[in-house]
Amino acid sequence: MRLRLLILLTVCALVGFAAPAQTPSAGVASTNKTPGPLVLDRVNTNDVAEIDLEGLKKILQRNPKDTRPLLINFWATWCDGCREEFPDLVKIDNDYRDKGLNFVSISLDDVAEIKTAVPEFLKSMKAKMSVVLLNVKDPEPAIHAVDATWDGALPATYLYDKDGKVVFKYFGAIKPAELRSAIDKQVGSKP
Amino acid sequence: MKRHYALTLFLASIVIVAFAAVAGSGSTSDLPAPPAIGTTLDDFKLPDADGAEHSLKSLTGKNGAVIIFVATKCPVSNAYNDRMEKLAQDYKAKGINVIGINSNNTEPAAEVKSHAGEKHLTFTILKDEGNKIADRLGATRTPEAYVIDASGKLVYHGRIDNAQNTANITSNDLRDALDELVSGKQVSKTGGAAFGCTIKRVS
Repeated sequence: MRLRLLILLTVCALVGFAAPAQTPSAGVASTNKTPGPLVLDRVNTNDVAEIDLEGLKKILQRNPKDTRPLLINFWATWCDGCREEFPDLVKIDNDYRDKGLNFVSISLDDVAEIKTAVPEFLKSMKAKMSVVLLNVKDPEPAIHAVDATWDGALPATYLYDKDGKVVFKYFGAIKPAELRSAIDKQVGSKP
Repeated sequence: MKRHYALTLFLASIVIVAFAAVAGSGSTSDLPAPPAIGTTLDDFKLPDADGAEHSLKSLTGKNGAVIIFVATKCPVSNAYNDRMEKLAQDYKAKGINVIGINSNNTEPAAEVKSHAGEKHLTFTILKDEGNKIADRLGATRTPEAYVIDASGKLVYHGRIDNAQNTANITSNDLRDALDELVSGKQVSKTGGAAFGCTIKRVS
């Protein structure tokens, strides 16, 4: 009798732990009535669009018609942790784009490099995801727009579910298996 | 009876493993939160790049200290080399000492020493093996500054200023905080965020 109870408890515990973890929400409910000006689709070139703080906020608020989970990664060519993890991110983009993952890569390089070092790096990485370059006079409002607890350490990676809730965040070069596991949970779910 | 006991143990261990798996899941970086403004930092000892040990207390000036987590290879940290050196010189005379800490696993003491020589950094730079002090202070990036008063109380934690490029500086947050500290005023802006390279921690 006791054994059966223990088995039952174990099964309950395992089912409970298998449920997706609740994390504090950092997503913002979209207040945009019109679609954002950025149409971030599959790219055939490594052209990089410049965005400002408002552009960043639009990415975070998202097009209300776009219910794909959103992966954003902040990086710069001068950041070696960013360069180390980049090939893994390119692979993740290739593997999950057609499974419904929206990946926006955000460079913090100097805007002077937007036509030179940045696209050259992307080309060398065979990157196919959308890349924008954030150009702001003061980094603080931009950093806080993403996450009030982030202090700007790069690289930084955030995964949002279809409702805009943060389900994964990481500072430093990602562990690909962990990110993939988090993405699997999102692209597997039906809208 | 014995069979049931073994099975019970086995099932219990599954529950424990499941618990540990969820608790340890890397959905966020597992970094400790930095101490709140107003906390008094415990003293600590770290070696400099020559191996000589220093305590935080012994390096703190009569009005306080600025701890800055630095790197040899991060271009953001390097963009601040001259500024940090100037800060050290300007504020030493005012009783506040600049203390560098290198916590990067990938940057050994010899490299910290030669880098400081090349870049003419005269303030003490300590080597934080195993990123213990970075963990204790919840430091995540370089450069990242912590200001303590003479008693070791944290009065500022954040960026040096708002721009890597000196031509674009519009907010000198760290200097403002130090000036307030020196004149005995309450530090009004106790921190600020800026982009930097993550500290390379031991995995």
